[in-house]
Amino acid sequence: MRRSYLGEFEEVVLLTVAVLGEGAYGVAITDELDRQTGRSVSISAVHAALHRLEEKGMLSSRMGDATAERGGRRKRLFTVTVLGSRTLHDIRATRDQLWSSIAPNALPAISI
Amino acid sequence: MKSAMPPRWANRLLEWFCAPHLLEEVEGDLQERFERNVLRYGMQSARRQYEREVLSFLRPFALKRQPSEYPQPILFSPAMLRNYLKIAFRNLARNKAYSAINIIGLSIGLAAAMLIMLYTKDEVSYDRFHRNNPSIYRITSKHLTAAGVLENLQPYTGIFPGPKFHAGVPEITSFVRFKENRKDLKLGTEVKSQTVHFADTNFFSVFTFPLLSGNPKTALQNPQSVVISEEMAEKNFGTTNVLGRSMLFKENEKFEPYIITGVAQKCPQNSSIKFEVLMPLVIKGEDMAKNQNWFSVFMNTFVILKPNANVKAVESKMNRVYVADARESIKEMAEKFNETGRTVYALQSFTDMHLSKELPASNGLVDESNPTFSYILSGIALFILLIACINFVNLTVARSLKRAKEIGVRKVVGGARTQLIIQFLGESFILCFAAFLLGIILIELALPTFNQLANKALALSYLFDAELVAGYAALFIITSLLSGFYPALVLSGYNPVQTLYSRFNLSGKNYLQKSLVVLQFTLASFLIIASLTIYSQFNYLTNKNLGYDDKNLIIIDKSNLKRSEAKLVKEELAKNPDIIDVAPKNGGFWGTVAKINGETQLSFAYETVDETYLPLFKIPVLKGRNFSPDFPSDSSQSVLVNETFVKKAGWKKPIGQLVNFFWSEKPEKYHVIGVVKDHHFEALNREIKPQLFTMKASNPYGKVFIKIKPNTETASLQYIEKTVKRLFPLNPYSYKFLDQENIKRYESEAKWKQMMLFGAILTIFISCIGLFGLATLSAERRTKEIGIRKVLGASVTGIVQLLSTDFLKLVSISFIFAFPAAWYAMQEWLENYPYRVNISIGVFLLTAFISISIAFLTVGWQSLRAAMTNPVKSLKID
Repeated sequence: MRRSYLGEFEEVVLLTVAVLGEGAYGVAITDELDRQTGRSVSISAVHAALHRLEEKGMLSSRMGDATAERGGRRKRLFTVTVLGSRTLHDIRATRDQLWSSIAPNALPAISI
Repeated sequence: MKSAMPPRWANRLLEWFCAPHLLEEVEGDLQERFERNVLRYGMQSARRQYEREVLSFLRPFALKRQPSEYPQPILFSPAMLRNYLKIAFRNLARNKAYSAINIIGLSIGLAAAMLIMLYTKDEVSYDRFHRNNPSIYRITSKHLTAAGVLENLQPYTGIFPGPKFHAGVPEITSFVRFKENRKDLKLGTEVKSQTVHFADTNFFSVFTFPLLSGNPKTALQNPQSVVISEEMAEKNFGTTNVLGRSMLFKENEKFEPYIITGVAQKCPQNSSIKFEVLMPLVIKGEDMAKNQNWFSVFMNTFVILKPNANVKAVESKMNRVYVADARESIKEMAEKFNETGRTVYALQSFTDMHLSKELPASNGLVDESNPTFSYILSGIALFILLIACINFVNLTVARSLKRAKEIGVRKVVGGARTQLIIQFLGESFILCFAAFLLGIILIELALPTFNQLANKALALSYLFDAELVAGYAALFIITSLLSGFYPALVLSGYNPVQTLYSRFNLSGKNYLQKSLVVLQFTLASFLIIASLTIYSQFNYLTNKNLGYDDKNLIIIDKSNLKRSEAKLVKEELAKNPDIIDVAPKNGGFWGTVAKINGETQLSFAYETVDETYLPLFKIPVLKGRNFSPDFPSDSSQSVLVNETFVKKAGWKKPIGQLVNFFWSEKPEKYHVIGVVKDHHFEALNREIKPQLFTMKASNPYGKVFIKIKPNTETASLQYIEKTVKRLFPLNPYSYKFLDQENIKRYESEAKWKQMMLFGAILTIFISCIGLFGLATLSAERRTKEIGIRKVLGASVTGIVQLLSTDFLKLVSISFIFAFPAAWYAMQEWLENYPYRVNISIGVFLLTAFISISIAFLTVGWQSLRAAMTNPVKSLKID
């Protein structure tokens, strides 16, 4: 099986970029992460992850338009590349496969 | 609406460390988040969070790896360096006045600083060349009264401490006693008085003075042996190969041959021990047996301690030895002199001696030095250097307007700020280097004068010393940075857009420049006041009426002059009509003790004179009468005392009072027959002490004072020399003039005066050339304004006033700081003198006048030139 080279946080960030579609940039991703997973992360952590993902070729980026609310600065908008998409799919397939291989009652029951 | 601002420092920090290609998005994101946070949590908390976020961006990915997205040439690329150099030289060449002011100022400042470093280095290196160095100590003693009050602190010891402490204290491995004396030396038919040092035989194993010839271990073993210095050998024999030859020294009225057993290399100039002739110290056995000799102190004793010895412990052991050994004498003293105090011995490190104020190098040890002198000199040198650096900063910043365009262009074509800083710092290094070279030439020129003033033998060749070279290099670098750093920062910070539009002006009121000018003139005024005060004090000391007439008085030294001989001398000299009178006197002034009013003891200066002494010096006798040949009993029963003596004794009727010399073999009692008017028989740094005159026949004289007619010096001296040499062929002959001797007492004041004057002149000179430069630049900058004013009808005086008042105001402000500081410092200094001038308001007025007029002359000339220019010329440009 091919290894996907993604850390857990990177995976979550990559997924969030996919969730956001067109409007994926630093702050938006941070906010979305917060909303979806309930974990509050620093912008720098997100930026670091985005940067690594881009270096690995899972993300591509372009500069957006300047907006007044950001003091006239442009956003860097991210999109998931084919490799990124492929990696995400691979990960998902691996997980699914693993889940399906677990024998019934092998996991301790979780009470509701 | 102005959006909320995140903390500035955090942004600065981010800009500094963040990679340029990431900066925009990062800043944008942070700003966006910040604005939301402000709305949500308030300003305070948002700012705090912002700071935290920025700091969290200190991660590898965001850190700058490339200074910019465009490639940069390496910082010191040869092409750019060439360009910097070219521009620097062009700039310097184009502004000759500016460059000259900076180079001259800095070179004087650097020269002063380097000279003082040379001086200080020499001072602190004293006596450090001995191999035994850290373990050599000198024995000192202090005398405490019964109540424990310190009465006397002295570095002198007698014959006992050396051998007895050596025997009784195991830590003391050896000792050397050392003293100075004069001996008559016969060379052919000439007799001259020679300074001779006596030391114990192990002198050369304790101190490191290499011998050119002779065995250092045995050179001083024979009592009739002598070790002479290289120079001495050259001078007397014309060669240093003199081992085994002999020299004739007078011993008990007879010239005896001493065999030369060693020739020593020239003593290093930073040595407290400098000898020409060294002889073994001979202590008679009977002297060693006399317990009383514990109280006879007259020489230096040095000891060597074991390397790990505890000085405090050694000292207390020494004192135990002393108390045990001297018990008998201590008891005797207590009985005889009613002496209940005690003596405590201590040790002084040999290397501390040179700069010690309390226990200076004396009694055959030379070059004792006052550390204050080093501090003052360093202070002045620092002043001068600082002022020169201030000039540089002020001029460079003021002149930078002219270079604004160059800076603008450099920035527009991509010059980074660091590059500009390096460029300007480089220029200041070039200037400093030129000043440094010039400074070395200045030192070479100034050294002879400086050596004379500082009583040193310094040479430029000392510069090869590694420490000094390092010091000088550090000085050079510090000076360059000090003078170049601020201008470089200011200049590189110019906004290119403004400079290129040529709408550029130095913003702000330029407080820095102004305060620096004030500082310069504060220092200059301080030194002017100091030199004026020292000058007037010196003047006072040298011109004050001493209470006697010291004009046309020749002194001849003749030790052990007996009554009969004195009579002969007088008779022979009186034959010359140019010689008015002759009076003999004993050698010096020493503190002698006698009982007055029964048991009270008084100490006083004890002078042996004859009846001619007081008239010759024109010292009046206030009460009673002078000694007289008409009263033969005068020489055995009578004394004269001075007014202070009477006052100290508390006598209402001094005539007829009794003075009891109780310590002589059989007590002698004298009656006071007259009171002499107080006169300054010592230097004016001391108060007049009680003084007593006697004619006691058994006291020999030591000096002959000869009063001659004015303007007959040459002839009289010839006659005197001939006569004295005829009468005493086996005695050395030398003469002095009393008034010159009196002035010599104030050598130290004269030195201070000179140094301060030099300092003041240099500081005011450098401050003024700086002011001159500033005035020039300000006139240049305001050329157009002046043109317009003239066209509108302003007068030349009006414009001169306009341009100079600014500077004169600064000079006046400097007085506010300089006057109190100088007043305080000079008051402290004058405290040292019992007879002193008062600091008058005149000194301050004079200082103010000097400073303002010099400043006005400097600035006024430039202003006048600006005011006189034809406005057509100045308005036509542009």
